[in-house]
Amino acid sequence: MCASVKYNIRGPALIPRMKTKHRIYYITLFSIVLLGLIATGMFQFWPHSIESSNDWSIEKRSVRDVPVVRLPADSPIPERGDLSCRMHTCFDVYRCGFNPKNKIKVYIYSLKKYVDDFGVPVSNTISREYNELLTAISDSDYYTDDINRACLFVPSIDVLNQNTLRVKETAQALAQLSRWDRGTNHLLFNMLPGGPPDYNTALDVPRDRALLAGGGFSTWTYRQGYDVSIPVYSPLSAEVDLPEKGPGPRQYFLLSSQMALHPEYREDLDALQAKHGDSVLVLDKCTNLSEGVLSVRKRCYKHQVFDYPQVLQEATFCVVLRGARLGQAVLSDVLQAGCVPVVIADSYILPFSEVLDWKRASVVVPEEKMSDMYSILQSIPQRQIEEMQRQARWFWEAYFQSIKAIALATLQIINDRIYPYAAISYEEWNDPPTVKWSSVSNPLFLPLIPPQSQGFTAIVLTYDRVESLFRVITEVSKVPSLSKLLVVWNNQNKNPPEESLWPKIRVPLKVVKTAENKLSNRFFPYDEIETEAVLAIDDDIIMLTSDELQFGYEVWREFPDRLVGYPGRLHLWDHEMSKWKYESEWTNEVSMVLTGAAFYHKYFNYLYTYKMPGDIKNWVDAHMNCEDIAMNFLVANVTGKAVIKVTPRKKFKCPECTAIDGLSLDQTHMVERSECINKFASVFGTMPLKVVEHRADPVLYKDDFPEKLKSFPNIGSL
Amino acid sequence: MQSWRRKSLWLALSASWLLLVLLGVSPLLRLAVPPRPLPGAPQGWPRWLDTELLQSFFQPGELPEESPRPSRAPSSNGCSWEACFDTSQCRGGSLKVFVYPAAEPTSEIHRRILASIEGSRYHTSNPGEACLLLFLSLDAPAAEASPVPPQWNGGKNHLVFSLHPAPCPKTFQLGQAMVAEASPTVDTFRRGFDVALPLLPEAHPFRGGAPGKLQQHSPHPGETLLALAEERGGWRTAGTDSSTCLWDGRYEQDPGPTQTHPRGTLPNATFCLIPGRRSDALRFLQALQAGCIPVLLSPRWELPFSEVIDWTKAAIIADKRLPLQVLAALQEMPPARVLALRQQTQFLWDAYFSSVEKIVHTTLETIQDRVFGASAHPSLMWNSPPGALLALPTFSRSPRDFPFYHLQQGSHPVGRFSALIWVGAPGQLPLKLIQAVAGSQHCAQILVLWSSERPPPPKEKWPKTAVPLTVTEGHRKVSDRFFPHGTISTDAILSLDAHTSLSTSEVDFAFAVWQSFPERMVGFLTWSHFWDEAQGCWGYTAERANEFSMVLTTATFYHRYYHTLFTHYLPKALRSLAEEAPTCVDVLMNFLVASVTKLPPITMPYGKQHQEARPPLASGGSGPEPQPPDPDCINLMAAGFGHMPLVSSRLRLDPVLFKDPVSVLRKKYRSLEKP
Repeated sequence: MCASVKYNIRGPALIPRMKTKHRIYYITLFSIVLLGLIATGMFQFWPHSIESSNDWSIEKRSVRDVPVVRLPADSPIPERGDLSCRMHTCFDVYRCGFNPKNKIKVYIYSLKKYVDDFGVPVSNTISREYNELLTAISDSDYYTDDINRACLFVPSIDVLNQNTLRVKETAQALAQLSRWDRGTNHLLFNMLPGGPPDYNTALDVPRDRALLAGGGFSTWTYRQGYDVSIPVYSPLSAEVDLPEKGPGPRQYFLLSSQMALHPEYREDLDALQAKHGDSVLVLDKCTNLSEGVLSVRKRCYKHQVFDYPQVLQEATFCVVLRGARLGQAVLSDVLQAGCVPVVIADSYILPFSEVLDWKRASVVVPEEKMSDMYSILQSIPQRQIEEMQRQARWFWEAYFQSIKAIALATLQIINDRIYPYAAISYEEWNDPPTVKWSSVSNPLFLPLIPPQSQGFTAIVLTYDRVESLFRVITEVSKVPSLSKLLVVWNNQNKNPPEESLWPKIRVPLKVVKTAENKLSNRFFPYDEIETEAVLAIDDDIIMLTSDELQFGYEVWREFPDRLVGYPGRLHLWDHEMSKWKYESEWTNEVSMVLTGAAFYHKYFNYLYTYKMPGDIKNWVDAHMNCEDIAMNFLVANVTGKAVIKVTPRKKFKCPECTAIDGLSLDQTHMVERSECINKFASVFGTMPLKVVEHRADPVLYKDDFPEKLKSFPNIGSL
Repeated sequence: MQSWRRKSLWLALSASWLLLVLLGVSPLLRLAVPPRPLPGAPQGWPRWLDTELLQSFFQPGELPEESPRPSRAPSSNGCSWEACFDTSQCRGGSLKVFVYPAAEPTSEIHRRILASIEGSRYHTSNPGEACLLLFLSLDAPAAEASPVPPQWNGGKNHLVFSLHPAPCPKTFQLGQAMVAEASPTVDTFRRGFDVALPLLPEAHPFRGGAPGKLQQHSPHPGETLLALAEERGGWRTAGTDSSTCLWDGRYEQDPGPTQTHPRGTLPNATFCLIPGRRSDALRFLQALQAGCIPVLLSPRWELPFSEVIDWTKAAIIADKRLPLQVLAALQEMPPARVLALRQQTQFLWDAYFSSVEKIVHTTLETIQDRVFGASAHPSLMWNSPPGALLALPTFSRSPRDFPFYHLQQGSHPVGRFSALIWVGAPGQLPLKLIQAVAGSQHCAQILVLWSSERPPPPKEKWPKTAVPLTVTEGHRKVSDRFFPHGTISTDAILSLDAHTSLSTSEVDFAFAVWQSFPERMVGFLTWSHFWDEAQGCWGYTAERANEFSMVLTTATFYHRYYHTLFTHYLPKALRSLAEEAPTCVDVLMNFLVASVTKLPPITMPYGKQHQEARPPLASGGSGPEPQPPDPDCINLMAAGFGHMPLVSSRLRLDPVLFKDPVSVLRKKYRSLEKP
């Protein structure tokens, strides 16, 4: 292409002397230019992959080309791990003080090759998994390349498997890291600790104060709240695709698939098989496989050959026995197969046990009770087993599946220790997605009846119906438990009447002028609201008696997490149109109450204003309608509970509106309200409203009892 | 060549030139000048060219290791649950506990703990069949040497229980015994083996205990953000602006309007800052009761019952070295979190800490969960109301079977009910009642508990019903009506009496209401309790009033779990009390449900025709039953519970169109309105 460009520079000078015989020449020139054009065009519009732009900023090198560092034989060795280390003693939290958004920043040292004085390498430079792990961290939000802002340091020295490294020299390599400082804030990942003959349960490399994310900790080596217990990654996870198998009976009740078991354990398992017959299957390695068959993917019982890990899906419970090491990669395979692991490894710290509730996904049997294992497992009810199977699979998907999942869960745990107030909750760690979706956590879960003395704040939304507003104020002020009255003046073109004109009432009266005429203003969490109970009331609701309002407040006290209102409404499924319909007729059921007169907790004002899903708030303000339906949806969705309608039905219309309240107006109104329900249901992704057949009345309502002895005699009068 | 040809060639050439320059230059430039990584852009871990060639850390050929079976002797570091506790001694449905009798002289608290365990389901008097042997070490450590208990056995399966932070008496070696002590230091605490208890004030009530102090769910707008525990035992509060000065107690700037609260008074603030010293553990419980969210700065002591209680739901445990970040986090904490934390403090206080008895039972329940393994309480039961002491894992391990967790589980109670008819005195067969109940489409089965002296009539005398009808005889005790009969297959029970009069419509409506309130009692006839100033004791009445606090179990829906709770949770003393006075059973059941839910029962309209049919209650025992309420009963119950759990309600749930001026044909439950 460059050549053609050069050539073309001389082009213009040739053209005037052009002759017919030069035609071929011209055509060649033209086609060269055209070819150049096509080539550049293709270059321009060829779909570049997203990474390619990253590729330019990341150096492309070979692992073999990394710099070599020679470690003198007498270079310093870190102290052995300090067993008394805790976050508040050995971790320098000040380094994390500057990290924004409650997220720690992690620095990764660049890769080096360490050799001793004789040029013999200290270890394999890096394993595939450790490279994956560092890539995952580097791609995550935790990563920083600024060593001065980092809170946590991850050496690129691979210590995943202790057997592939030289202990003393690796320690020397750690000690010469630029920010080592006794290992403070350094995080090492190790999955296979210890070595023959005694197989320590933690990495033997002296590492001073460094945190260890280790697979196979025992209670004696694990520093609670400091180290992180991680799984032993099973490379099969990436190789084999085992689709989730639904819960239900499986062929074998109990299966053991491990190959290198101690003879004593194998004897115990064989005894179980002998006792319980076909429901127990104890597999071993195959001895008679033909050449070329991958022996890790096969298991045998006598002469029967089984595919591994597929056979795990045929069993309800799968034994995970300790070997020389406590942590076993088979745990990951078992979880993947949705088989409930039966962990037999005394004092083993299960992976991520700081946050994961293993009781929900596994059975831990003490080594001593191995022979009772069968009866222990049989006592577990079927429903619980199915839940455990689902949970096991979910643990694998979320935290075992890939090196990336393991790395990120480890960092999240450390992050949660440093910023505990922003930590992930038990439910977020442990609940499978299906449970998270269907469960409701009521924000007002504590059964608490607020004291009557607190009273309520009445909020009257008004535009310009001053006369009617004053009547409402006068009526409401007669309610004994009223503690404050707030008028939300929604008319920007007109000022509220002078102070002297307002009715004189016994409680404080405040007027809030709004900046815009929006229906949402009714639900704004005004600072003036001091009580928990709020009465939302329209400026034309003059027909509610003082007894009715006071009783409504009493009902709210018994149901402070619900909307407690007067006029009730219902949503119905219209089978013909296949959509929701709004209903205001005399029905036997209610699912909503109008907020033209309703008590509710002031927290719902906060939710309405700041946490309303989707564009519902804007929709309401644009349509100038349905703010009450939106509130009903919101409260039902967060609490999972129905509304409470109080007192019998009465005519809820202001006398002066009846004239314009024609039939056609009513019908468009109903259509619009139905539309709101359909819109909101689609935004919420579900229909949260709950239908009930009851309403609340005073205990002695309409009972044959002297009226003057009733607490709320004046109820239900039209 | 013609000129137009030449011109067009010229044109084409120059146009292509222009295009070439426009399109070609920029990528050429990019190729020519290799881009430098932008300063500041993260450089990241390199993508190695030979990633594919890297070896796995785990060579499949490298199969370890037939290692020697590890020795099971407990290591010198101490004990763990697997190594030092022998679960083979634990058989049966619940933990069996043997308590060593007190050595002379006994303290009051010692005697009462002993009595409390003896009355509970845990107790066994035979140390041979006990799973756990409890050694109470309650007196001050200065007490004289106590001898090694007779069944000591190196401390195996022993729990040394001490309400003080001081370690157990040094007179004998602890051996393999577990230690339950107040606020153990994190360094010596053996997780999963020892039990951490709360540090209690000297005068902690033994039973019942004061409820939490929180009166409202959300903080009052004017409430102080932070109160700081003072060394002398009081609390200091300050306005939000000056709270930074509270840290370290330094007053370099103007301290602002601080306020000191004397010892013993509870702080009125959203958060309570408690330093990490062990002596401050006492303040933790104080804050918890006050509903002031504890903010613990690197506590050196183990939080109480940390094995089972998720403290992150009720407290903030932060690093003392980052005080400003903690303060900022508190100020910016979203209201939803503050709300949840506040409520959780109250729930935990009330469920596990408000009395010594609850602390003892929580300790035993924790150990029972370890023994139970897979069938222990799920974390949900420990950490949401009503708490693990009231949710027995022997009933079911699945939260869906209980009435309390339907919301969290996204489930519903089973949509049928079982009617349970108690026939106590000889008389007419409750034929009408059976027909009315069997007429309900939600009825799954009818169980008749025949406990009359006379044998039940033969099968053909009973009415033919669409649902199965079972007659069980031989039950004489009144409390047997609340026995968890294995034949009950539905979540809902409709408890009835032979004399009860109900219509199908009423049954249907009541069941619909119960489905909205599965954790409460939903009944027709009510009683109310009151405090009798003149006598200085509780009283209760069946007279109709503007409020009520109990519903009679002669016509009430409730969850079948309450049968299990009644039979297995209530102390023997209370149940035998109920045996003696039949009306007391109703009171006891209402006490039980109210102490679990902390809410009043629910009542519905009850047809006048029934009320006339039933013998007048308060008139003094003219009918065969129910007898007039025995005033002693409620006071004995209140003493047994340690407090008055009943809650009054002023409302009744009616059908939506109840007595509304609309055609009766529109009404679903019209028969409820019959005059």
